[in-house]
Amino acid sequence: MTERHDSAILHFVVRVFMVPFIVMFGTYVFIHGELSPGGGFQAGAIVASAFVLARLTLGNKHSSPRFATRILIWFSSLGVGIYVLAGMIPMFYGDNFLDYNSLPTAWFNDIAAHHRTARAMGIFIVEVGVFIAVLSVLLMMYDYLTLRPRDDTDD
Amino acid sequence: MKWLTLAFLISFAGLFIYASADLPDRADPHAPATEHLAPEFIALTDEEVEIPNIVSAILADFRGYDTLGETIVIFTAGLAVLLALQRGYKRDDGTS
Repeated sequence: MTERHDSAILHFVVRVFMVPFIVMFGTYVFIHGELSPGGGFQAGAIVASAFVLARLTLGNKHSSPRFATRILIWFSSLGVGIYVLAGMIPMFYGDNFLDYNSLPTAWFNDIAAHHRTARAMGIFIVEVGVFIAVLSVLLMMYDYLTLRPRDDTDD
Repeated sequence: MKWLTLAFLISFAGLFIYASADLPDRADPHAPATEHLAPEFIALTDEEVEIPNIVSAILADFRGYDTLGETIVIFTAGLAVLLALQRGYKRDDGTS
């Protein structure tokens, strides 16, 4: 576990400016991945860096409630699961694995009143899965690499 | 033994250098990869996927299987770190 840093200025700058900005920038990279360079892998790494920064300055004990170590393994499995599911749903419609053409996304186009092809929707779903998986795996690695033996901590 | 390995490697390096003379130049517009695959990807992205970023279309759609493998590699790496570094984990017999 990393300790909480003492400096109040550091806490203020990290909490108020840096972490929100980095998370917002990562979300922008993720959403904009279809239009410009970006996508799930990069955005996951950027957002994970924001959370690692929070853990470095605020300490694991104060920042981990936002993203608890214990549930990260579930999140990373969920990310891979979303990807595999997006690949398997077309198989029930008689198409190949990962052939997004037959994903049932017409209802979304009706709600959003905006035409997107099923393949574009499939790409977005897959990127969501990659984003969640990369984000939680990077955080999980940081958390377990900085973990101390249980008799060392006071909780 | 060392010299035998060295001679073996030199002969292989010579073979590769000889074979590389036949490969197309870098950024050659008439290379087979750019003449057959790239125009197809560009056309299909425009017709079927309809997103402006061809790289995303190739990454997640045309090469979706590859990206699935990459994601699973990252997931496995995280899993390996978790299994190797997880501490304070009690077994049934009381040893940690």
